Amino acid sequence: MLDALFELFFKYRPLIFEQGDFAFRAPWTGGLAVAAAVAAGVLTWRSYAQVRGNSRPLDRVVLAVVRLAAFAMLAFCLMRPVLVLSSVVPQQNFLGVLIDDSRSMRIADRDETPRLQFVQDQLATPEGDLRAALNERFALRFFSFSSETDRLDVVDELGFDGTRTHLGQALARAHDELSDVPLSGLVVVTDGADNAGGELEEALLPIQAAGVPIFSVGLGRESYERDIELGRVETPRRVLRGSALVTDVVVTHRGYAGRPVTIQVEDEGRIVGSENVTLLRDGELQTVRLRFTAGEAGPRLFTFRVSPQQGEMVTQNNVRETLIAVDDRRDKVLYFEGEPRFEVKFLRRAVEDDENLQVAILQRTAENKFMRFNVDGPDDLAGGFPRTRAELFQYRGLILGSIEANYFTPDQLRMISDFVNHRGGGLLMLGSRRSFAEGGYAGTPVADVLPVVVGEPRGDGEDGFFVEVAVETTRAGATHASTQIADTEELSVARWRELPPITIVNPVTEVKPGATTLLTAADSDLVVLAFQRYGAGKSMAFPVQDSWTWQMHADIAVDDMTHETYWRRLLRWLIDGVPDQVVTELPQDRVQPGEPATILASVGDANFEELNNSVVLASVTHPNGEFTDLPMEWTAQRDGEYRATFTPSTEGFYEVRVEALADDELLGEDVTYLQVAPSDAEFHDSTLRASLLERLAEETGGRFYTAETASSLADEIQYVGGGVTVVEEHDLWDMPILLLLLASLVLGEWSFRRFRGLA
Amino acid sequence: MRSSGLARIALVTLALSGAVLGVRLATPSISDPPPVAPPGSGIMAEQQRGQQGFDPREMLRGRRRGTLQQPGGPHEFYFTRAIYSSGWGWSRWATDYPKADRQFMTVVNRLIDIDGSPYENAVRLDDPRIRDFPFLYALEVGDISLSQAEIEGLRNYLLAGGFLVIDDFWGSWEWAAFEQQIRQVFPEHPIVEVPIDHPVFNAVYRIDEVMQVPAIGNYWGGRTWERDGYEAHVRGIFDDKGRLMVLINWNTDLGDAWEWAERPEYPLKFSTFAVEMGINFIVYAMSH
Repeated sequence: MLDALFELFFKYRPLIFEQGDFAFRAPWTGGLAVAAAVAAGVLTWRSYAQVRGNSRPLDRVVLAVVRLAAFAMLAFCLMRPVLVLSSVVPQQNFLGVLIDDSRSMRIADRDETPRLQFVQDQLATPEGDLRAALNERFALRFFSFSSETDRLDVVDELGFDGTRTHLGQALARAHDELSDVPLSGLVVVTDGADNAGGELEEALLPIQAAGVPIFSVGLGRESYERDIELGRVETPRRVLRGSALVTDVVVTHRGYAGRPVTIQVEDEGRIVGSENVTLLRDGELQTVRLRFTAGEAGPRLFTFRVSPQQGEMVTQNNVRETLIAVDDRRDKVLYFEGEPRFEVKFLRRAVEDDENLQVAILQRTAENKFMRFNVDGPDDLAGGFPRTRAELFQYRGLILGSIEANYFTPDQLRMISDFVNHRGGGLLMLGSRRSFAEGGYAGTPVADVLPVVVGEPRGDGEDGFFVEVAVETTRAGATHASTQIADTEELSVARWRELPPITIVNPVTEVKPGATTLLTAADSDLVVLAFQRYGAGKSMAFPVQDSWTWQMHADIAVDDMTHETYWRRLLRWLIDGVPDQVVTELPQDRVQPGEPATILASVGDANFEELNNSVVLASVTHPNGEFTDLPMEWTAQRDGEYRATFTPSTEGFYEVRVEALADDELLGEDVTYLQVAPSDAEFHDSTLRASLLERLAEETGGRFYTAETASSLADEIQYVGGGVTVVEEHDLWDMPILLLLLASLVLGEWSFRRFRGLA
Repeated sequence: MRSSGLARIALVTLALSGAVLGVRLATPSISDPPPVAPPGSGIMAEQQRGQQGFDPREMLRGRRRGTLQQPGGPHEFYFTRAIYSSGWGWSRWATDYPKADRQFMTVVNRLIDIDGSPYENAVRLDDPRIRDFPFLYALEVGDISLSQAEIEGLRNYLLAGGFLVIDDFWGSWEWAAFEQQIRQVFPEHPIVEVPIDHPVFNAVYRIDEVMQVPAIGNYWGGRTWERDGYEAHVRGIFDDKGRLMVLINWNTDLGDAWEWAERPEYPLKFSTFAVEMGINFIVYAMSH
């Protein structure tokens, strides 16, 4: 509408003015005319300056200015102003037309009409208005794109069943194919979804360099009226069997504020967790925390789901799937205790039924006398606390009980630090008369690792510090996986408050910057549980000397599992994510059939020093039982990193087992899983991403259109597009607006004279 | 742990000598002010009062009302004696009390690296505070007569993770009486012989043979046995998961060996064995 009005007054559409360069094309007589106009202006000024009569000075100024303006306009027209712009030569240029073939094009979000309707109406047949208009000027080359990009001979054969949209890949492919012909531009008809991840910027560079404009036609709505979407779901890639998971799910919605909904998580169809929430305001990101247990080993597909609501425009985005490799193995934790303590007994009891935790205990009973429990063999820990890194680094977690720092050699203290920092293990220090400051750890490498500040002992006289405290959770502790001792967050927080008091002999009150306090004393500033990430691993401080009270106290029922739950979850969290010597990683753990999958492996020796000369082999077991062996090559980008790629062809779970050898010795092996299935990404974040499409057009010199404005596409490409062009000049002197202005000036002068009674 | 017999005896002798001297010096005379230890006081209150000495008058008062508690500060380990009801009205739970407890704990603190209270600590079976002490010692149980509250208290204590050591009861008659009582606590768990290769026998010291330890009076009488208890046994009650909950020393008197270890006429071999067994029991109870 505005464009039409503009064209009415200015003769041309705004695009012509945007693209054209302004110039005067007056012949020599034009100069003469201008000189005459200037002379007339001077005379006018002089005559108005001399005339007196009954006019005031202001009247003479107004009349002179109006008259001079009229002369100036005349002079402007006599100079013959023009717009100079290039225009593509009809039928001499090619135009690439890329049509989104993905499933999101089926979404009916405009008057219950699917997005693909625009394609079918305008482009599918030669009779379509847009196609016909383009066809008049350009040689058209059609492409369809979703996860793959294909040349398209017959547009109406599009199936709109692509499961992923690789916009960058599509642009690159079309540009490549048309790089040898005069190309006026690329027209992209899409809803703007690009879920390929990071390819777009890279693909744009050569297109920008070649000066090829992109004309984007955005289909769909930028927001839905009524929709609930499960957004990001953050879960670990792998966990130990039986691990309790606390997972954040981001929910967004429009049109359902205040509505209660239930979010469920299913393990292969079986509901393992749910959470009732009331939806917040429209568009607000809402994080919902779900608790569930990974009970079955192997590749487990967990499905997060919110039930479709009445009137929802897109229900496919109510579901999110995530693949978790659930390991059924025994992870080793070393508990070094410096004296007989009941913590040993009750910690053992707490985890003895946990088939995935092996807490090997080394307990000193007298000087140089040790007891060993749960060790691997008669020689295991026979020499006391490990003296080599290789010996210590076989464990994933390390618990230090009542053992003074002086027991360790300086190298052993550094080794413990390296266990966390370099090996990536988890360290937990327990409260006792010989730990933290009371154990002389101030200034040691172990104190550097701990999440709390270890200063000098602060006892009350010879008896030392001793206090009985009730425990409560901090804000972080209320939701942290290691401190969940009941089924829900509320119950867990309440349960912590109910637990009988424990005693503390280590007055720890300060955590380090970056550390997180999870539990505190209810009536003081004493830290009860804190953690921090340190280097590749993490450390925890639990300055409590008798957590067994939570098992033995008379207020605790004999069948109560709080103590067991606490220790199992704490230790599992402590060793969660601790790497092995060989670690397999899939940058994408879900690909589509025919899409290449990359396997990365990190390989280290027993001291966890990266090895670049290992023999690394990935064995891929297909869903049908077939094997594929893939030698992995060092990437040369990172020490110890190896890579291999394969392209799965059928849907299902693929087991990827990586083994590494060095000097004919097996360093280790690691198993992970790849899910091969159609992507579910198309329906997530599926609204029209106009901003992306506008940016595409802007950065390449093209323009952005909607379904409503696309009718002007063909005309505009004529002036914006590249390829074989000719220079056109468009006269401006005869613009209606100029005539109107001139008439207005003359009429204005006359009216002013009449109004002032001057003529 | 393996060590030569001579070395073991010498080590324990040294510890016992110091222990006896220490206990004698620490034990106040009857004219000392009595400790303030009302029922219901906890560890914290005891700590504030300081470590009071033992007063026989208080012990007698405790016997009458059936409760006495004397933990000496916030230690990791308290040698806790069970106060139980007896059939004849006489408080047999207090046999050898507190001298045996103190002498034994003094030795324990010297021989192993433990933060143990050097004082006696006695708690009723029906007192909820019994759950504050995961190690429990009871003796002279041939006349035990548990109330329902005591039965429930002991059962819950053991199921929660407590460990009970029984000592000093002799012969088939006392066994039968004890068995009848303990059956009320654990009707579902049998009493079985603890094999000599069980970890409790080598938690710290390696015990190859269960020796019969006589009460000092019997030894003076020229025998190690009492009634028809000619052979010492170590029996146990295990829970559903095979964890040892109750350790029963029958036809033997470890407590007397701790109590009279300083007497030259009492053979050192018995004291040594009793201390080694006791330490094994403690360390086992704290780690298994």
